[in-house]
Amino acid sequence: MSRPRRSRMTRAALAFILMVAVIQLYLFETVLGAVLDGQRGLLPGAFVASLVLTLVALVLAWKVPHLDDGPKS
Amino acid sequence: MFRWKRNFPVDLADESSLSRREFARFLALVSAGFTAGIGYLWGRKKPFDGAPDSSGLERAVDLGPAAALHPGESKLFTFRDADDRCIVLRTQMGDLRAYRQTCTHLGCAVRYDGQRLECPCHHGFFECGQGFPVQGPPTRPLSGINLELRADGRLWAVGDLPKPGDPRRLEEPA
Repeated sequence: MSRPRRSRMTRAALAFILMVAVIQLYLFETVLGAVLDGQRGLLPGAFVASLVLTLVALVLAWKVPHLDDGPKS
Repeated sequence: MFRWKRNFPVDLADESSLSRREFARFLALVSAGFTAGIGYLWGRKKPFDGAPDSSGLERAVDLGPAAALHPGESKLFTFRDADDRCIVLRTQMGDLRAYRQTCTHLGCAVRYDGQRLECPCHHGFFECGQGFPVQGPPTRPLSGINLELRADGRLWAVGDLPKPGDPRRLEEPA
């Protein structure tokens, strides 16, 4: 019973990391547009948010056990 | 089994396959790259081409007598440094406006055709009143320069205007 659940967890972790990458792309594009418009006030907040997302993604990618477990394994 | 197959037991298709963890690590590193990019933008002090300067330093450049510029005419000048190329113009209504020449699409120099500001590279057009894009690929307005008409009739460029729509842009240029 634990095998399918573990498989779902690894898929959720992978989906979360993929979502983080998409959010980061959108965030960077927004920040770049704002900087080109001369609005630098959002840079500290954007950097902190981006850093938190990256740390979560790095922890998931390196530390989550059984990430390679697929449905058939 | 062939000897070569014993020495090289991995199929070509399997050799290039990527595990879930490797893919997750790749995505996490891409995410870290974006974070580094935002950090670079935060740490970078010099504004980008075409972006208003928010350093707060006062600058003033003499643009000559305002009366020398007739409706539909323009004149080029440099503002922050030799590479910061700008254009001052008098509209058909007689208003004076100044903008950075850097097109907000891909950075070509815009020019004044007497009615609108035109980017010749990709045929982008900006209206003269506030620098909004009205035609072509550009989507963001031009960076405006604040003008000051002094008592002796000379025109001075005295700073950066916030982009249109920014609440800081309360005062209209000369």
